[in-house]
Amino acid sequence: MVTKLSHTSFYVLDQDKAYDFYVNKLGFKVHTDVKMDNGFRWLTLTPPDQPDLQVVLIPVNNNPMMKDDVRNAFKTLLEQGQMGGGVLQTPDCRATYEEMKAKGINVTEPKEQFYGLECIVTDGCGNWFSMTEPKPGH
Amino acid sequence: MSIDADIYKRVVAAKMYIDDNLHEPIKLEQVSQQACFSPFHFHKLFTRIYKKTPHEYLTQVRIEAAKKMLGQQGASVSQVCMNVGFESLGSFSTMFKKKNGVSPQVYRNSALERRKAADEQPEIFIPHCVLSRYEGTE
Repeated sequence: MVTKLSHTSFYVLDQDKAYDFYVNKLGFKVHTDVKMDNGFRWLTLTPPDQPDLQVVLIPVNNNPMMKDDVRNAFKTLLEQGQMGGGVLQTPDCRATYEEMKAKGINVTEPKEQFYGLECIVTDGCGNWFSMTEPKPGH
Repeated sequence: MSIDADIYKRVVAAKMYIDDNLHEPIKLEQVSQQACFSPFHFHKLFTRIYKKTPHEYLTQVRIEAAKKMLGQQGASVSQVCMNVGFESLGSFSTMFKKKNGVSPQVYRNSALERRKAADEQPEIFIPHCVLSRYEGTE
């Protein structure tokens, strides 16, 4: 029986830039950050209020785990902003929107949807997210 | 009653002021001045938006900043206590233990041990399924 999701991956064009976005701007916490002698860096983060979900930031450029054709496919998708990372939840969408704007994050104005108040956010590394203040029951 | 955009901007600016100045002895009057509100009005608005009082929020960000610093080589518990704006080591230690279940010293020892292990044997922090994929592409 599968019960929980413990790890998920965000593929990013640049791991350092992604670190800056998720940790310094969104407030994610570093769970594990280790580097092998060959340069491979295993970097996992947890959302601010979700310590049991690790997000693995997987770099596309300079990733020794990827063959060239796979790397190029990911790169194309990320460069075109086609990778949707999921939904970021916030208790107050308008406040988070104002803070993101002040921090220079690319974010759309909040709009009412049937499931809550939503903005679209991009991480600057090829991924887009819904950032939502959910309505009760959603 | 909804909060208008200008008020959001001012409260968010004050929240970001707390983030940037957590190491200083911040008073509510000072923060509310940043937002051009009376302390009473600011307290009410901040608590409504962030679901915690300005003081609770300040304590939270100070403890999080302390956790980061405690994991770095060379920082003693009393230095960290001062660097994150607590006025006494006793109140810092008590609050830290209340929030994290262990004292700052125990947290520091464990974080440094983990850091040392990560530097010496990074592979023990990386899931086998990931390492084997890497080995498969070499």
